Amino acid sequence: MRKNLLAILLVLPALVMIVLFFIVPLIASILGAFEVGDAWGLGNFRKSFELYSGDMIFTVVIVTVSTALIGIFSIAIGGYLTLGENPRAVAILRWLYRWPMFIPFIVVGQILRTFLAKNGLMNNIFVSLGVLTPLQTVGFLDWRGIVIAFVWKQTPFVTLLVAGAMASLDRSTIEAARNLGASRLRILIEIVLPQISGTLLVGLILSFVTMMSVLSVPLMINAQSPTMLTADIAFRINAHGDYGVANALGMISLILTTGVALIYLRQTMKERS
Amino acid sequence: MKTLLQASLILGLATGPAAAADLTVLTAGDQNMVDYINDYLGPLFEKENPGTTVRVVGTGPGDAGSQKIVERFDAQAKANVEKWDADVAVVHEKFAGPMVKEGYLESYRAKIPSGKMVTSEKAKMALGSNVDGYVMPMFSSQTAIAYNPALIPTPPRSYEELSTWVKVNPKQFGYNGIKGGASGVSFVMGWIYAFGEGDANKLMKGPFEEAETKKWDKAFASLKDFTTDATLTPGNAGTLDMLSRGEISMGPVWVDMFYSWQADGKLPPEMKLFLPAPGMPGQPMHYVIPAKSPNTELAEKFVALATSPKVQAEGIVKRFNWYPGIDAKFVQPELDKASWDKLFVDISPEDLATKAKPFPIAPYNSAILEAYEKNVAN
Repeated sequence: MRKNLLAILLVLPALVMIVLFFIVPLIASILGAFEVGDAWGLGNFRKSFELYSGDMIFTVVIVTVSTALIGIFSIAIGGYLTLGENPRAVAILRWLYRWPMFIPFIVVGQILRTFLAKNGLMNNIFVSLGVLTPLQTVGFLDWRGIVIAFVWKQTPFVTLLVAGAMASLDRSTIEAARNLGASRLRILIEIVLPQISGTLLVGLILSFVTMMSVLSVPLMINAQSPTMLTADIAFRINAHGDYGVANALGMISLILTTGVALIYLRQTMKERS
Repeated sequence: MKTLLQASLILGLATGPAAAADLTVLTAGDQNMVDYINDYLGPLFEKENPGTTVRVVGTGPGDAGSQKIVERFDAQAKANVEKWDADVAVVHEKFAGPMVKEGYLESYRAKIPSGKMVTSEKAKMALGSNVDGYVMPMFSSQTAIAYNPALIPTPPRSYEELSTWVKVNPKQFGYNGIKGGASGVSFVMGWIYAFGEGDANKLMKGPFEEAETKKWDKAFASLKDFTTDATLTPGNAGTLDMLSRGEISMGPVWVDMFYSWQADGKLPPEMKLFLPAPGMPGQPMHYVIPAKSPNTELAEKFVALATSPKVQAEGIVKRFNWYPGIDAKFVQPELDKASWDKLFVDISPEDLATKAKPFPIAPYNSAILEAYEKNVAN
């Protein structure tokens, strides 16, 4: 009995923190989504779909495309770090690829806003190199800008996990395939990738959830419609003081992320057992 | 350890409650609002009232900034706080009405000398709610269309002409939608005034009728069309930014921001302004004093100074290019001719009289914003 009490006491601070600062606000926001005036109802959700259905699709598409690209790039970088034959190139890449991880999203947005604009740094470089004429330049400050920002910022994170997993593989499988004459690409796809797919999946899911919640990048880069749900939530609160629809939108993005969170949970359960 | 203790003590003191002679001013709006008080009005007030310190807190641009001030007052009212943490607030027109209705504000206009110099209707009715006595207009601001005469020698002069102009010049007109600041909002309101099938005067003066909101479908359909031929910019400053980089050649802007950017060299001096027919909205920013301000008298003194003809001339018109909040005839004698004329080069006083409109009253305002999201953005 005494021991039990002690255990509860030890857990209590963490439990109080979670209940007070996470569970209670979450429940309040879920309840708020169903509150229409003084009654309960689905009015906020109806309005959300009426006004922002395009943005919901946009958000899912943007985040999914970004996740796919992040996957491809992190496999490519991780693969080269593991299988690359030029030690200097590997060392440089290893040193370089992590940098974006330490840059906050808002700074990424700000950097890319001036870099990707129609008359921004990137196009100015192309023009001065004679690759493009000023009239041919195109600004990337739309959905493409968001995807570029997300991929640039999140790839290092996934690569870190993937490269770590690849490094801890049993190298004899790779050597065996190489002895039998397999190309490096084939080794990456057929030998390495299947063995690290679990880690890759977890990294991608964590990135997906992170990207769903980023407000600064869409605000900085894509002021256009459609935009991401986070920008709509901010707008509902800031311009209309309408917490109801904002809560409903929050819940919708929660549902969107729940799907991938379930995959994550199943994966970690599998690893535990 | 000792230095750490001292440091935290100093930090604690510095962020502790304000001393009696501190005047806290909350202001919504772009950075220029904070600059105005920090660089000009605050030091002036401190000089006239030795021993006082003016602290200014910027709450951010657009309606969002005013919304934060309202929420702050709401929270303190609900918590029954005896003395609130603000002495003066500068808010958008839309939020003055609700604040008066909740009883958050002091009625002070009759108590200060410049109160009599206010003649604008906007100081009595703010988007359909009676605020008479509770607000002093800090300045009037107006939106207009900025353009580059090198690229467009004869700009379209009305919304009607503009709507055909973009077809011929796709992507040359830029505006910031409704989520990135009020210059885009104002452009959309002007569009409804021009093309809505209802009565624009009813939108500006009320009363609110649900049936009126059903008369905009065609206007929004044409605006959606228009928007596909236009460029969307990332904010009030974003429009000016793209104009200066030559990425667009025309777009709606706030007149004061336009002149300030030109004065700072951030915008080419050739750029010009016009007010399209039938007109675009503008709005005042209002000084309000919370009823539970800790330094009511000092606050009244502050607003009295801020709305005196001298400050309105020197600060509002000359330095920041806003239109004065009090009646212009009290301000004109305090100004040299050059500064006075500068404000009216592109947009004549007649233009202002006929084409400077108020924003729609609050319920129509929200209905139009929502209809825009439903019909144009989604």
